[in-house]
Amino acid sequence: MTQEAAPKLPILQLVGVRKTFNDFVAVEKIDLDVIEGEFLTIVGPSGSGKTTLLRMLAGMDQPSEGNITLHGERINEVPPNKRPTCLVFQSLALFPHKSVGDNIEFPLKVRGVDAKTRKARALELMRVVRLPESYHSKNVMKCSGGERQRVALARALAYDPEVLFFDEPLSAIDYKLKKVLEKELKDLHKETGKTFIYITHSLEEAMVMSDRIGVMRAGRLVQVGTPEQIYNHPVDRFVSEFVGEVNVIEVKKGEEGAPWRGIDVPGAFHVRPPEEDAEADHAFVVIRPEYLRFLGAGDTAQNSLKGMVYNEYSLGSRIQYQVRVGEKVMLVELSRSKALPIAADRSVTVGWDAADAITVRA
Amino acid sequence: MAQTSLSHPAAPVSLEAAPALPTKRDALLSLGARCSLPVIVLLAVGFVAPLIAIFAYSFAKPRTFEVFRSFTLVNYAEIFNVNNTVWLSFLWSLGFAFATCALLAVIAYPIAYGLNRVFGKWSSLVSILFVFPLFVSENVRLYGWVLFFIKNGVLDGTLKMLGFEGGPQVLYQPPMILAGMLYVYLPFMLFPMTLGLAMVPRDLIDAARDLGANRWQIWREVELPLAMPGILIGMLLTFVLGIGAVAEAKILGGQSVIVISHDIFIGALTLAVFSRLDLDRLLGRR
Amino acid sequence: MEQEKARTRLFIWLWTAFVVVLLYLPIACGALASLSKGRYFAFPIRAFTSEWWEKTLDSIEIGMIVQTSLLVAALVTVISVVVAFFGALAFARYDWKGRRLFQKIVILPIFFPQPVLGLALLLWFSAVGIQTSWLTAVFAHLVWIVPVVTLVIAIQVYSFDPSLEEAAFDLGATRWQVMREVTLPILWPGIWSGALFAFLLSWGNFPLSLYTAGADSTVPKWLYSKMVAGYTPMVPALGTMSTLGAASALLLGGLVLWLLRRRAAA
Repeated sequence: MTQEAAPKLPILQLVGVRKTFNDFVAVEKIDLDVIEGEFLTIVGPSGSGKTTLLRMLAGMDQPSEGNITLHGERINEVPPNKRPTCLVFQSLALFPHKSVGDNIEFPLKVRGVDAKTRKARALELMRVVRLPESYHSKNVMKCSGGERQRVALARALAYDPEVLFFDEPLSAIDYKLKKVLEKELKDLHKETGKTFIYITHSLEEAMVMSDRIGVMRAGRLVQVGTPEQIYNHPVDRFVSEFVGEVNVIEVKKGEEGAPWRGIDVPGAFHVRPPEEDAEADHAFVVIRPEYLRFLGAGDTAQNSLKGMVYNEYSLGSRIQYQVRVGEKVMLVELSRSKALPIAADRSVTVGWDAADAITVRA
Repeated sequence: MAQTSLSHPAAPVSLEAAPALPTKRDALLSLGARCSLPVIVLLAVGFVAPLIAIFAYSFAKPRTFEVFRSFTLVNYAEIFNVNNTVWLSFLWSLGFAFATCALLAVIAYPIAYGLNRVFGKWSSLVSILFVFPLFVSENVRLYGWVLFFIKNGVLDGTLKMLGFEGGPQVLYQPPMILAGMLYVYLPFMLFPMTLGLAMVPRDLIDAARDLGANRWQIWREVELPLAMPGILIGMLLTFVLGIGAVAEAKILGGQSVIVISHDIFIGALTLAVFSRLDLDRLLGRR
Repeated sequence: MEQEKARTRLFIWLWTAFVVVLLYLPIACGALASLSKGRYFAFPIRAFTSEWWEKTLDSIEIGMIVQTSLLVAALVTVISVVVAFFGALAFARYDWKGRRLFQKIVILPIFFPQPVLGLALLLWFSAVGIQTSWLTAVFAHLVWIVPVVTLVIAIQVYSFDPSLEEAAFDLGATRWQVMREVTLPILWPGIWSGALFAFLLSWGNFPLSLYTAGADSTVPKWLYSKMVAGYTPMVPALGTMSTLGAASALLLGGLVLWLLRRRAAA
């Protein structure tokens, strides 16, 4: 790893953190440095252990093994109310019997701050999260989904924690509002300069907001990197498929100098050796649908496959074609302006260059 | 409908079956109302009518059952007589009910908390242990206490065996009546309270702790207010049952205190409390 | 912090155990009394005997009383489950105009002191000229037990997803088929718990039976009359038997409930 341009100190450090429930291993040996002020997103399918990881960071669960340090001090057993961190729950966990203002003021109230200061702080925070001042006395259960989200954010910021954790707070919100809130959250991160650790099952969400992304699978942290690294240099097939719909071809190394041979589709291919392990002789070639193109007469590509178009979908600005190649279905995406008037059941040739494909170890 | 130009010879069945739902809705009473009818009829005949009968009897001559032939306000005049002992016994029963209610809240709270948070897989067994006595006739259970405290009973006998004076004669004294009421009404406080505490989402407690609240603050600011509907129902139940504690008074108290029942008072109180609670949320948790 | 938590847990366990012991102490005292030799109870017990249990089992009078009690409980169970099942649907399933009011009316009798209710029913029966007997006791039990069973079943109904019924309609089932194929099987555990409650509450009921059973006697009523006047060790013997009977009914019912749940989960 090369040194970052402005090396910042890790605020949170995980060393060999492991969590088991009876026989079940929820989180397996995780090492991670969280840099001060970054927006780190942990993604993974449900059951991958990301929520358990977050609960340990927030202090609601204790690791079975390993250490969590904050500013270099071990905090494994420090209870949540003694940590300078705050968690925004998936359910938001707003107190239904308290008004918007009382919810936001709660952390100040329990710290003995007087009513006047509390109210001033609450109103200030409501401005930050763009809630009208009149909402201060509104019943929190009468707020809309987006408004509740903002109340939860304001409440989390109220006592100025150093690190904020988010447990999929946007999962129950409709698409359009989600897009707005994602950007607002990113803005808020910039304005406050605090460290945000966010977990979600949606890589799309992670890509929009994060400085770095960690991908979890079955309790392990598979890869940590910038969104660009995750997208273009996935370490294995799981990460590459997690990013979105991809075409995966299984290949075996041929004789010295000869091209690689396809296993699940016939043919020989030009393949870049896997980044992680140049000596590997068994690999997956991952080609994103937008890097695959139809070859007309006179068009050339390093690799090509013959197949039959049998379906097309409109994806808004792009169009996706399903092409049957033997037993396999390949996906090709073209921007709408370049769409071809291809009728179903037409024979086509699809092609790609080795440089556009990613190779990962099998 | 009949003159529709579109014909669907292939699907005549669906045309007939489809309106089944809407037409039923158009019936004289809604489905819900019809389902409620048996219960309504039962309660009208078995609950409302007898109460009206009692009301009518209150106008009859004392110690007679001639309701419609005689009309008198003697009974009411009697109640407003300052020297009447009814007032004294009313105060007694109110005091007992208050004490029962308050003490039971304190006794039951740790158990209700335990059922929700501490006992884990044992909690169903523990709740069965508390439900079961409800099914044993209360006079059988109270008689067990009599056997315990009676002269030469379990307590007295044990103390004598150990060389002490012998047990105190507490039977038929007011504190014993209170103990009897606590004993009989414990489940009525415990279960609504458990239900109420179960309604406090785990997330909210975690969140409060995360936001910096200590245990006392969590309890006062989050747990107690959210569990209040259940606790209120428990208190109401025990208070109301306490006022009507005739069986206990007769067995444990002999004739020393006559605890009378005050039906209108009870009905009004119950309705007043329930008009402020959302039963759907309390029972259905949604 | 952790230590404080452990102390709290220990306190809660100990306190609960203490209350449970108090709860069962008198029942144990009754069992002791029924096994002691001699006409009058004296502790510590000098000699044990099963004499009083045998006498109780042999008594024709007690046999009749147990029969009456069983009959009353069985009738109450059947009627209350049917009435309460529909009541629970009205309480929790359907949205209709009078529902809020209905919910409050159903709850009211539960909150009513049973002795008052029993006395009121007695006056009512005599006013309309009905001779009180075990049949009127069944009716009196129903007034108090139907609301309880309605609540018990309603709790199950609340967790029932109405879109299941709609899906069945949509798939072509008639109203009766929906009831038989979808609604009833899903609500079975609730109905069964309701039946168990109905039986056990009726079996152990004393205040309602006292006023409304007329010349007929149920087990609790007979026990009461003997407690007030004419103690014999048959009183604790029958009381203990009745308790054991209720316990085995609960155990059996619980077993069936457990099987129902397991089948639903399978």
